[in-house]
This record gives sequence, structure tokens and C-alpha cells, in this order.
Amino acid sequence: MKTVTINPVTRLEGHGKISIFLNDEGNVENAYFQVPELRGFEKFCEGRPVEEMPDITSRICGVCPEAHHTASTKALDAVFHVDPPPAAKKLRELLYSAFFVADHTTHFYVLSGPDFIIGPTAPKAERNILSVISKVGLEVGSSVIKHRSDALDVIAMIGGKRIHPSFGVPGGVSKAITESERAKIETIAESEVEFAKFTLSIFDKIVLGNKDYVNLILSDTYATETYYMGTVDDQNRVNFYDGKIRVVDPDGNEFEKYPAGDYQQHISEHVEPYTYLKYPYLKKVGWKGLVGGKNSGVYRATPLARLNVAEGMATPIAQAEYKRMCDTLGKKPIHSTLATHWARLVELMYAAERMLELSRDPDITNPTVRIIPTEVPDEGIGAVEAPRGTLIHHYKTDEQGMLKGVNLIVATVNNHAAISMSIKQAAEGLIKNGEVSDGILNMVEMAFRAYDPCYACATHTLPGQMPLDLKIYNKQRIVTHNLRRP
Amino acid sequence: MGDDGVGIHVIRMLKKSLARDDLEFKELSVGGLKLVEEILGYEKVFIIDSVDMDDRQIGRIREFSPEQFKATEQPSPSPHVLNFATALELYKRLEPSKIPSTIRIFTIDIDPDFTFRESLSPPIQKAAANLVEIIVQRIEQV
Repeated sequence: MKTVTINPVTRLEGHGKISIFLNDEGNVENAYFQVPELRGFEKFCEGRPVEEMPDITSRICGVCPEAHHTASTKALDAVFHVDPPPAAKKLRELLYSAFFVADHTTHFYVLSGPDFIIGPTAPKAERNILSVISKVGLEVGSSVIKHRSDALDVIAMIGGKRIHPSFGVPGGVSKAITESERAKIETIAESEVEFAKFTLSIFDKIVLGNKDYVNLILSDTYATETYYMGTVDDQNRVNFYDGKIRVVDPDGNEFEKYPAGDYQQHISEHVEPYTYLKYPYLKKVGWKGLVGGKNSGVYRATPLARLNVAEGMATPIAQAEYKRMCDTLGKKPIHSTLATHWARLVELMYAAERMLELSRDPDITNPTVRIIPTEVPDEGIGAVEAPRGTLIHHYKTDEQGMLKGVNLIVATVNNHAAISMSIKQAAEGLIKNGEVSDGILNMVEMAFRAYDPCYACATHTLPGQMPLDLKIYNKQRIVTHNLRRP
Repeated sequence: MGDDGVGIHVIRMLKKSLARDDLEFKELSVGGLKLVEEILGYEKVFIIDSVDMDDRQIGRIREFSPEQFKATEQPSPSPHVLNFATALELYKRLEPSKIPSTIRIFTIDIDPDFTFRESLSPPIQKAAANLVEIIVQRIEQV
């Protein structure tokens, strides 16, 4: 048996750690965000058949296996030099749109919802989904669960399973869908479109209808000027499944646009000794540290970033919502980190509409869903937009298709530098004269939570959640506050 | 991978020991909401997983009820953090008829020694075999 040992290994989940250092006056001098990341997958995949990758990498994360499965499948197409038939590409995109619906719905109602629906400074015991349900009512709660579940049913119909779908193969997908399945998906998609509209109306009422929240979103405390990255179609509209990667500068001008396969010419990774996560940056600008602006290569790849790099959305209601958001928040690019929540809902609308479009596509039930590869495998890159940002899988094989090298740039890693900067900026804006309350700490965390960061694979610690450790140190480097979620 | 994957090893051993039509075995690498959604609609559910406890005793087998798990106190930084207890409580309120009447969680203490391998270490292999016996007996009782 072959034994591969990697040291240090951070595959198992670790701590997300925020350290805030105060000066003599009790104001923020510096803040650091540290996290162990799973990188072991890249190493232990070496020596395995490349066609196993969509199933192996979907286990990287219990939250977004569909993103890894799809990026991996696209990388296999490239490795085997095969172009899937149109129906296969559409089925992949249909499943992927359903995944976005489920994921963005969960984030808005379950994770970011408590901050706004219950309130950013509410007692921490009340800031959770259970309180949200108590406030908005069981009927809304049931609708959230129903629409999330329906989207997962679509994933199961197309991909074989609700969790860890297993249908992507080099050259296409493993099965077509029937007319009966298509009709069910269409019915679900119709309902998802209405649900997305309802969700945007909730956001209007609770967030945009509250002047304090709007001021919070627009405040300097949550504004970070960076470059932005996202995938666009040939008309520069947001596309989750395919297209070119477009980068705009902090003024909103196109900086570069390239096929995902060229990512190594555009992205480099900076390493710091205090965190296992690397800091990707734009190669042509360079690494200048954890600073924003045009001279720093720090970029963001988030729902807000995707809307910032795009010139519009490809579906009608999402386009109208996109325009409304841009008009409301002023000129693009929008730098307010908290506007990411709004951008996520515009994307929810797009994903639901795209599901509906694809379910009505006459080609979607075409039985030709795979072209058998005939070329010798060698190297390939596949990319998608994961809910949290651009996701890249890069494989190199020998002529038998056994993996010689794997590189994964996972979505959250793109945002590592920006997350660190946003946390520091929020801490600087909120912590004054050493006054730190639970509410203030939560508002610092809100800067972090807007990115919907995702670090670990499925949870295995009791009580089953990723620990987060937030410490505040005074000038003597003594811990004065410690907020630890066990 | 390694001892972290002992739950999957136990499931595969159980499949061989218990060939019954009224039992279903699932290998999952998810937590929180997705885990709860996977158990909805079943009558009785046993969950098996590795754990790393503060008072770690390698190979120790423990059994928990869902009530012994603490709900998340505040919003979480990622979907990973909507823990099992909170997700279960959410579904108890929204879909009470789909909650299994029996949910038991069996755990084996491991040392996450960060060595990648597909097999189990000897103490965990032994614990896995013991847990299989325990679960077989429990299933036959219910």
C-alpha cells in the first residue's frame, strides 16, 4: 500500500481566528485573520485515475460539492480534449443553477438573516435561524425549507443524489432526463422564480426599508476598494457555468479578461507564516500587502464582485433587480462589503430564472449527452463560479490518465486578503477607546460573514460547528476580550 | 481518510452483517442542515462518526441523544456552522412529522494525527469492530 504523508496537514477543520490588537488609547492598531485550509486533497489525489476527481473533490466540502463536481468535470473535458454535446452542457448548468438557488437561499435566511431580521446588536442568544423563524413566521420558514428542498430534488433528478451528485463524466453527463422529469423541474423552477421575487421583497422591506441598515451598508466601515473578479458570457453578463474571467479595477474599468485556462498568467499566491491560507493576487499588479486600491493586487471574487465585473444579467427579472441595485447604491463598482447580501439575492433571481429557461429548452431532454473521449489525456483546467467566488481545478496526468499534479484555487481563498482587510476596517470603525461589546464584535463579524466564507470539509467536531475564536489584545498584548464559539 | 473515516468503515461492516430489507445505509460527508435533511422521514436513525474530544480517549465509543448537543447561539460564519442541533431544532418546528422517533449518535474518539491513509489504525479498527457489534445488537432490539 502506498502511503502519502503530508506535513503540516490541514484537511481536518480548524479554527477561524480573528485577533484584534489595540493601542494605548484603546483603538485598533492591527487585526489579523488566520485559518487552516484543506490543501491535502491536492496531494493525495496524485497517482489516482483522473476520472475519479469529480467524486473525490465533491467531498472537499459538505456545503458546495456541486461546485467542485462541476469544475472537476469541466477539467476532465479539457484533460481528455473532448467537447460535450449541447444537452450535456445544459444539464450541467441546470443542476448548477438549482445548486445556486439552494445555496443562496440558505445563506440569506439562515446565516445573514439573523443580522438584519433580528438585528446586528441583538443579544447573541437570539441571533439565530430559530429566532428568525419566530419573527417571520412558520409559514415563511416552511417556504424557505420547501424551496431549498425542491432545488435539492432537482439536483437529485439530474445528478443522481441530493448530496454529492455523481453524473459528470469527461465528454458529458452519465444520463439524460426524461420528459416527465423535465416537467417536474419546470414546475419547481416556476415556484423558485416566485420565491426569489418574494425573497427580494423581504430584503426590500426589512433591510432597504430601514434607514439605519442602509446607512450601515453604505458606511465607510464596510467599504473596501479592491479589484473584482468573476465569470462573464460573451456580452459581459454574469454566468455561473462558463465564460471568460473578467477583472475590473477599483474604478470599474476592465483590467483583464481571459479564459480560465490561462489563470496562471494572471494569478499568483502570496504566503504568510501565520496562516495556512495563501493570498492570491493579480500578477500584473503585484502583492503590496493587505491594502486596497489600484496599486494593490488584492481582488475579490464574490456575488458582489460578479455583479461589479458584469455589465448586466442574462435574465429579465434579475437584470431589472441588478439595475435597481446599481441605481440605488450609486456608481459601479460597488465597494460596500455588506451589499454582497443584496448581490446574492440578485443572483438568486438569476439562478431561478435560468433554471426555468433551461427546463423549457427543447434540447434539454435530448438523449445525446456524452461524447466518448478518444484523445490521450494530459492536462486540463476547469472553472466555474462557486457561490463564494471563482473556483478553478487544474489537473496534469500521464498518458494513462493517472494524476501527476493537482492544483485547486477554491472560491474563498480568492477573498482571503479582502476578508482580512474588511475585518480590520470594521474593527477600526467600530472599536473606539477600548469599548467592546458583544454587539460590536458581532458587527465586526458581519464584515467576515458577508463573504459567506467556507473553509473546512464536513464537520466532525462536537458539537459540530467550525470554531471561531475572536480575541482582543491591549497594548501589553494581554487578552481583554475573548469571544469563542466552541 | 484514516481514522477520521471510521464512520464509513463501520457502515460498510454493518452492511455485511445486516442484510435486511428494512434497513438503509448511507455514507455521508456532510453536517448541519444537509445531515438533518438526509434523515427526515425515517423512523429510526443511527449516526456514526469520529470525534476529537477535549478529554480524548482513543477508541472510546460513546452514544449521544440529540438533546445532548447544543444549539448554535448566534449566527454562524458559514453554512458549516449551522450545527446539527440547530438544524434539527429548525426542522422540528417546520416539519415535525418528518423527524425520526429515534435518533442516536454513536462516536469513536480518534486522534486526528494528520496522516493520510485509507485504512484505520489498530485501536480504531478494534473500536470499529466493537461498535459494529453494539449497533447490530441495538438494531435487533428495535
